[in-house]
Amino acid sequence: MRTLLVTAVALLGVCLVCFGQAADTPFVVYTYDSFASWGPASSIEQAFEATHPVDVRFVAVADSRSMLTRLLQERQAGRQGADVFIGIEAAELARTQRLELFVSIPPEDVPNLAAVDPALLLDPSGSLIPYEHGYITFVYDSEHVETETLARTFEDLLDARYRNQIILEDPRMSSPGLSFLLWTIDRYGDPGYLDYWRQLRPNILTVAGGWGEAYDLFLAGEAPIVLSFSTDTAYSVIDHGSARHKVMLLQNQGYRNVYFMGVVQGTEHLDWATDFLDLVLSTEIQSLIPTTEWMFPANPEALLPVSFYQYAVTPPQPVMVSPEAIAENLDRWLREWSLVILGG
Amino acid sequence: MNVRRARRGLLILLPLLFLAAAFYYPLLRLFREGLTENGRFTFRFLTDVFVDPYFLRVIVFTAKQAFWSTLLSIAIGLPWAYVFTKYRFPFKSTLRSLTIVPFVLPSITVAVGFILFFGNNGYLNQALMFVFGLESPPIRILYSLPGIVLAHAFYNAPLVARMVSAQWEQIDPAYTESARSLGAGRVRRFAGITLPMLMPGLMTSSMLVFIFSFLSFPIVLALGGAQFATLEVEIYTQFIVLFNEPTGAALAILEIILSLLFTFGYILLEGRFTRPVGGRIHHATEPLFRWSWGRGLLWLFIVACAILYIGPLGSVLADSFTRSWAGHTVLTLDWYAAIFRPEYNALIGAAPLRAVQNSLQTAAGAMLGALVVGVPIAFAVARGRFRGRRLFDTVVMAPLGVSSVALGAALLAAFLRPPLQLGHGWLAIVLAHTILAYPFVIRAVVPILEGLDRGPVEAARSLGATGWRAFLDIELPLIRRGLLVGAVLAFAISLGEMSATIMLARPEWKTMPLVVNDLRAARSFGGASAMSCLLMAITAIAFVVIERFGARIFGGTKWSKSA
Repeated sequence: MRTLLVTAVALLGVCLVCFGQAADTPFVVYTYDSFASWGPASSIEQAFEATHPVDVRFVAVADSRSMLTRLLQERQAGRQGADVFIGIEAAELARTQRLELFVSIPPEDVPNLAAVDPALLLDPSGSLIPYEHGYITFVYDSEHVETETLARTFEDLLDARYRNQIILEDPRMSSPGLSFLLWTIDRYGDPGYLDYWRQLRPNILTVAGGWGEAYDLFLAGEAPIVLSFSTDTAYSVIDHGSARHKVMLLQNQGYRNVYFMGVVQGTEHLDWATDFLDLVLSTEIQSLIPTTEWMFPANPEALLPVSFYQYAVTPPQPVMVSPEAIAENLDRWLREWSLVILGG
Repeated sequence: MNVRRARRGLLILLPLLFLAAAFYYPLLRLFREGLTENGRFTFRFLTDVFVDPYFLRVIVFTAKQAFWSTLLSIAIGLPWAYVFTKYRFPFKSTLRSLTIVPFVLPSITVAVGFILFFGNNGYLNQALMFVFGLESPPIRILYSLPGIVLAHAFYNAPLVARMVSAQWEQIDPAYTESARSLGAGRVRRFAGITLPMLMPGLMTSSMLVFIFSFLSFPIVLALGGAQFATLEVEIYTQFIVLFNEPTGAALAILEIILSLLFTFGYILLEGRFTRPVGGRIHHATEPLFRWSWGRGLLWLFIVACAILYIGPLGSVLADSFTRSWAGHTVLTLDWYAAIFRPEYNALIGAAPLRAVQNSLQTAAGAMLGALVVGVPIAFAVARGRFRGRRLFDTVVMAPLGVSSVALGAALLAAFLRPPLQLGHGWLAIVLAHTILAYPFVIRAVVPILEGLDRGPVEAARSLGATGWRAFLDIELPLIRRGLLVGAVLAFAISLGEMSATIMLARPEWKTMPLVVNDLRAARSFGGASAMSCLLMAITAIAFVVIERFGARIFGGTKWSKSA
């Protein structure tokens, strides 16, 4: 006990003595936590620092919404927080545009943009540039759900055999959750989607806060169907050595989500910043996207691992609600949705 | 006399100045946002909230779940305090230090533990189904109100236990002994003597638990689901998702007003209950491990508690050592290897070991800050004779009642501008944590101060001791339990805090809970569990160390062995 105590005290002492060393921050990139920790951030940093005389610093302490809030607060206080921001999703496009946070960039400054699928170029002002995209779909545990009689339409999902079998995410707190809400609005119209949600309620085990919570529940076997991504089988094969978790396509659709990056207004390094965006779109970096982000790269020339190519599903009919319609109605949609789901 | 008063005034003025700059000024911005439109004062955003039936339902549910959570936390915490006061058993002081560990765990860790253990497919249900040959899981508490209430009790019962047992140990056993000699039975003695004397500690902790549960949000979503969203979820939605700052601020203002009303109500009630109790009491304890039929209920409680705590935490531990591969669950050290790998995240500056160091440094700073700010205010509250003392007591508790989302944003906004201009950095985080933590020091110290016998201090003063001397030699040792509990809680609050940290931290100042969050966001579920276990181990060691040293610093051995 005594030795334990002494070690602990020593540890605490060491911690208190060695304060963090201050570093200067010439080129700052705000992004979300997973992009920096396991995503391609460190490769980007190395590649960029090899060709540019800068010290790239990724700041990623939370999800992208919190980071965007931080950027906004800094702007309001007249501070330049970052040079580049990575991680704005399509649903936020129009609202982000109104805040005028990002510099509009001529396409010729980002040569690799030419290779990107034009369907992903959703920002008319050209200031936000896509770097990856993916599809929200349901994913099921093939050991607990019959594959032969699998749901193929939205209506199938209302069937009594799926009672308490579905885990969803909260559209207010998570990107997949919002995608599914928008997807139902696309399918049933406004206000028809509310009826669908009313009928779906008995089959929902829970509406978890975020994707992580939902996937935890799914992995723990609490319910066999979860709202997730169409790349999950590939993830399951590459990370767990089994294709047990399979993608369920409804109406042959998947809700398409595109993720964007942009140069922050007021940066003093505009040239570097556009070079940086170009680097993220290069085939070397884009080839890292599949197995670090579990997304499809924006640049189709990127190399995909065989198992990703084999197991990641591309839904034949991608669905998207326009950013303008979202900006117009999101407040009301979320409110109406909450009223349907509350107290269930 | 005047010099002394002036000196005392200065001692209380400094913490108040700090609060004004670091808390009330940011809060003012929040109020301005929620109460003005185009520069003009308006109640519109606030009344909009009140006429909306949706918000009313959310508020009613928020209060309801907080009420049940408080009740269950007391039901668990009170017997727990009893066990720690009346019995002795091996490793008692270490176990006492460890009781506060659940309080600091990130909501993710607790959620994962609860899902793995109490889930419909969890270990508990699987065990029960196996033993009793059942077809379907017998315990379905998750994804409903009971799951939320149980998780809140998991977090908060230790708080009740700590605060109540600090009070219990101050009760002179002579009272109950004389009642016993007069023929009062066990129940009568408890209801008539012990319970009223425990009331201050019990009510303090109940109030803290209530406000905590009232403001809780990630755990409510994780274990209850969006069907059970609280007010805090709405604040998050308005601020972070919709950028609708006025409505978000209006909701935050409403939340703070409600919390302050609860606090004020409690402070009014507390005044009625405070009874003078002795200062330094020696309790005769009985050995716990001696079987008798009369102890059946006691052991039932202990076993239930063990299941409640060891179950979920053990499940997280098991999760950190296993992974599924090709349909099998295999034992592995991969997750620990991953979080200790030096190249992991080295470029980002948030390697896990760095996060350990960050967490400890920040918590140590916040603990010191909370003591420096909290103790003078506690003295002012307990000893001050001025008008509006109760109102003052309520207002200094305000940080407890502020939405963490709104506070994070407000602090960030304030720290980016003069006069504070700290930006993102260690000091900003420490200040934020100090603000969140000092109310605990006040609440831990005030009931004990109020119950203190002033006799010895007055005797010392009449013998010529200076006020400072009397404070150091007599009062400080007498209130050391309160100080220690306050310090430990402040440390714990800082270790577990996430919302403000997320807003203020630079990557090199990421704390352990943020890394747990990261790991899971990056699909490293096992890594998140491994990091959670590391967090538990580190906090456990830190608490044991703090309490050992704290007891020595505050003169623990001086009084408890004698008298």
